[in-house]
Amino acid sequence: MVTALDESVVEELGGILGDDDGVLTNVTSRAMRARVPAPFPVHRWFEYMPQVVVLPRTAEQVSEIVKFANRHRIPVVPRAGGTGLADGAVPLRGGIMVDIKRMSEIKEIDLVNRTVTVGPGINMLKLNEQLRKHGVMYPDDPASYPCSLVGGRIGTGGWSLLGARYGHTRDLVVSMQVVLPTGEIVDIGDGGGRKLRKSSTGLNLKQLFTGHQGTLGITTEATLELVPRAECEFAAFFAFDDYMKAHLTTGTLARSGLATLAGVVLFDERKLAYLRRDDEAYIPQPDWVVSAVAATLYGTRAEVEPASKRVMELGRSAGGKYVGDEISWGDWASRHDRYATPLHGRLPSGEVVPMCWHCEDAALTYSELPKVREEWHAIVQRYIDEYGIFDDWGMFAYTNGAYKPWGDYLVEIDVGIWEEKLNDETWAGWVNLKREIAEVSLRHGGSITACHGATRVGDAELVPTEMGTAWEVVKRVKRALDPNNIMNPGKQMLDQAYVSTDGEGSG
Amino acid sequence: MATKPKSDTRYDPRADGQLQEEFVEKWRDNAYGCFSSGHKFCREVCPVMQVTRNENHSPTAFHANIVAMEQGQVSVEDVADDYVHCTQCGACELRCPNTLFTGDFYRHRTETVKVVRAMRALMVDKGLDRQNWQVWNRLTDELKNEPVLGVGDGQPNGQEHVRDWADGLDIPVGGETIMFVDCEAAFYRTSIPRATAQILQKAGVPFGLMREQWCCGGPAAEMGYVEQSRAFAEHNVADWRAVGAKRIIAIEPHDYIHFTEDYPAYFGESFDFEVIQILELVAELIRDGRLKLERPIDRVVTYHDPCRLNKRKGIYEAPREILRAIPGLTFKDIDHVTQWSYCSGGGGGLPIEKPEIAAEISRQRLGRAAELEVDTLVSACVWSERPLAAAGSDVGIEVLDLIELVAEAAGIEAGGREGA
Repeated sequence: MVTALDESVVEELGGILGDDDGVLTNVTSRAMRARVPAPFPVHRWFEYMPQVVVLPRTAEQVSEIVKFANRHRIPVVPRAGGTGLADGAVPLRGGIMVDIKRMSEIKEIDLVNRTVTVGPGINMLKLNEQLRKHGVMYPDDPASYPCSLVGGRIGTGGWSLLGARYGHTRDLVVSMQVVLPTGEIVDIGDGGGRKLRKSSTGLNLKQLFTGHQGTLGITTEATLELVPRAECEFAAFFAFDDYMKAHLTTGTLARSGLATLAGVVLFDERKLAYLRRDDEAYIPQPDWVVSAVAATLYGTRAEVEPASKRVMELGRSAGGKYVGDEISWGDWASRHDRYATPLHGRLPSGEVVPMCWHCEDAALTYSELPKVREEWHAIVQRYIDEYGIFDDWGMFAYTNGAYKPWGDYLVEIDVGIWEEKLNDETWAGWVNLKREIAEVSLRHGGSITACHGATRVGDAELVPTEMGTAWEVVKRVKRALDPNNIMNPGKQMLDQAYVSTDGEGSG
Repeated sequence: MATKPKSDTRYDPRADGQLQEEFVEKWRDNAYGCFSSGHKFCREVCPVMQVTRNENHSPTAFHANIVAMEQGQVSVEDVADDYVHCTQCGACELRCPNTLFTGDFYRHRTETVKVVRAMRALMVDKGLDRQNWQVWNRLTDELKNEPVLGVGDGQPNGQEHVRDWADGLDIPVGGETIMFVDCEAAFYRTSIPRATAQILQKAGVPFGLMREQWCCGGPAAEMGYVEQSRAFAEHNVADWRAVGAKRIIAIEPHDYIHFTEDYPAYFGESFDFEVIQILELVAELIRDGRLKLERPIDRVVTYHDPCRLNKRKGIYEAPREILRAIPGLTFKDIDHVTQWSYCSGGGGGLPIEKPEIAAEISRQRLGRAAELEVDTLVSACVWSERPLAAAGSDVGIEVLDLIELVAEAAGIEAGGREGA
């Protein structure tokens, strides 16, 4: 491995990219790509910089860059939108950052076989602007829909707000082209065809290359699912005076069997309190409202109209009160923008301070939600009391399964952090908080992350525990594909793949 | 192998002059609001970022740089190039979730345009301003108008030619209402001021011209030359006062921004002129029946929302009202929110320093127009029309100013020239 930026590295990369201002070494270019939306220890920002940034335009360029890096044992970190919430695209060991934003073209729209083939640097909203005129859409719809990019969605194994109806990222990628850590360009799909959704040939590798957090390669092209643009959207929010009634209603809706159900969301009391900070006029709900449930439908008018009546019945079946069209539609329409705002942070004293936002996500089964909720809030409260720079922005649970939303949930607790006050001590406190949250998830039979990735300290140490007996397989796969541990090294405890059982390094 | 900063090379904004210290102090909270949320929703609406796909050119980078400056990690010199890549269109500010979700209750708006301008002022202060901008502003200072025609021999630049566009229109000098004609319109696309003047004459709106009209000073302010901008503003305001002007008609969106934001900032409460945006006035004249549009225009058009009207000032209804009043026109509209991510690339000094980026922004804009199968793209900002027209000629779409169309529909032969 190189320990300092070697001019010959820059020269070599320049040779690969040609005359294209695509090799960046100045400090701001590197610093901008060492940050993500969620808080990281801002006081240590400049410790996690790439040494050089490249902006390739083709898979061949990516391949040459990775081959070069592999020959010289230089770390490579792929980066798409840089909007991930777990530092997945933050280099832990410097090296070459491969920023794929310039690979953003739409290569083919196949309306007959219902696929669109794109570069990984395209954003979903921008893609859908182009698809709209054809009456189709690519329905990967995270909260970061206006800014995250297809390549990052594949790398993190993204989760979609419409996943119950249309599937999540991994369900929506039909096939892709990947540059392996050794530089080969390979086509990955179900079997061999680029536009096939199901095959029994060979091994199904597609899922392996979805959600690896940039540790197994770089997606350089993706063929994606096209679905008919929804003729009809429906959203209803129900208010409750009791969390358990809301929990019951969430389960009832999720198990309803309505095929157009796009998602069911359960908001708890702390979340409503946080939303009320926005503006009392926006959430004019009376004080007795301590929980809310939202259900959404997407599909044809022939399906959605009768289904909406059923949703209204079920939403009210355990005491839910419909909050009205304005709030229902407004809140659903603002689902991307209402992500988090730093201006809503409060200290325990009530003082408003600018806080950054972090959400701990887990996958948990329905039955565990009430208990986990209590435990998580108790943990966060302990850290609020001890450190005085955290704030509990509440929890929500969102149907997690693709097409089958009834069993498990993406569960998040949002925590505000007065990031300007972070230092080594408070950062350590935050990491411990994260770890405690993740341990609760594991104790309840859950996963420590449904979508953000277990790539940050606090979560990462628990990856081997969660993977259990499969951890050995994970390590073998990583080592087989990335023999020199150059691809996003240091993430998810995968360094263990290069340590022999007697403790000697063998990678 | 992480790169660690060397403590002895840390940047200290306090040691780098008062302006730098004030800059970081003034903008750190605004920057931190972006940095800490880090949504980057601005990125895909940013016209420059859409072209360069280089994250350095995203508004989030502009703010993160300030956090890094405060930390002592980077200097003005390190970050200067990033801030060249901005048209000051304001899309990022609108698309920012911090603006969208706290704008009403907390009266908050993420400020990025002002940050870019302040950084450019710092760059001028430190001699880090770009060469093309230096030349442009030096020539503007010499001519008192921007050198929009270039400075080759025989170009009709300068004060002796500033009213050439008005030949034969019999417009008085002075009066309570002054029509201010920006440099691009006065020298390059003279059909616009000629059309405007004749529309106002036909509708019976009295107005005059300045005795000595200098550049508004807006472009200088956009490029960071604050003192020059202010000196031009002082001249123009003095001229207005000398002729007893009470209201100023801004026929161009950049001027409108400058007169409604910068001039009040320069002069405080003593700036008591009423500033009228031409499209709002024309829409009113049509509505009131004072201007009749009776001559059909057989064109299929779409409208380009000028950034400074739509994104910066929220003026998007008046131009649509005018277009719908023109007989014969087939108007294929794209809503103003979708157009947050559209731009011509013609603002913020970008065409002067980065003409290739400005041209590509215009090319993409014309691509969007071409999808609508129109024969004409109508804008209402003369600065947008030069790059848009160049891109339009490649795809067979004519670029016209809304005022030119209004004049034609009102039966006015505007005269003048539509560009070079």
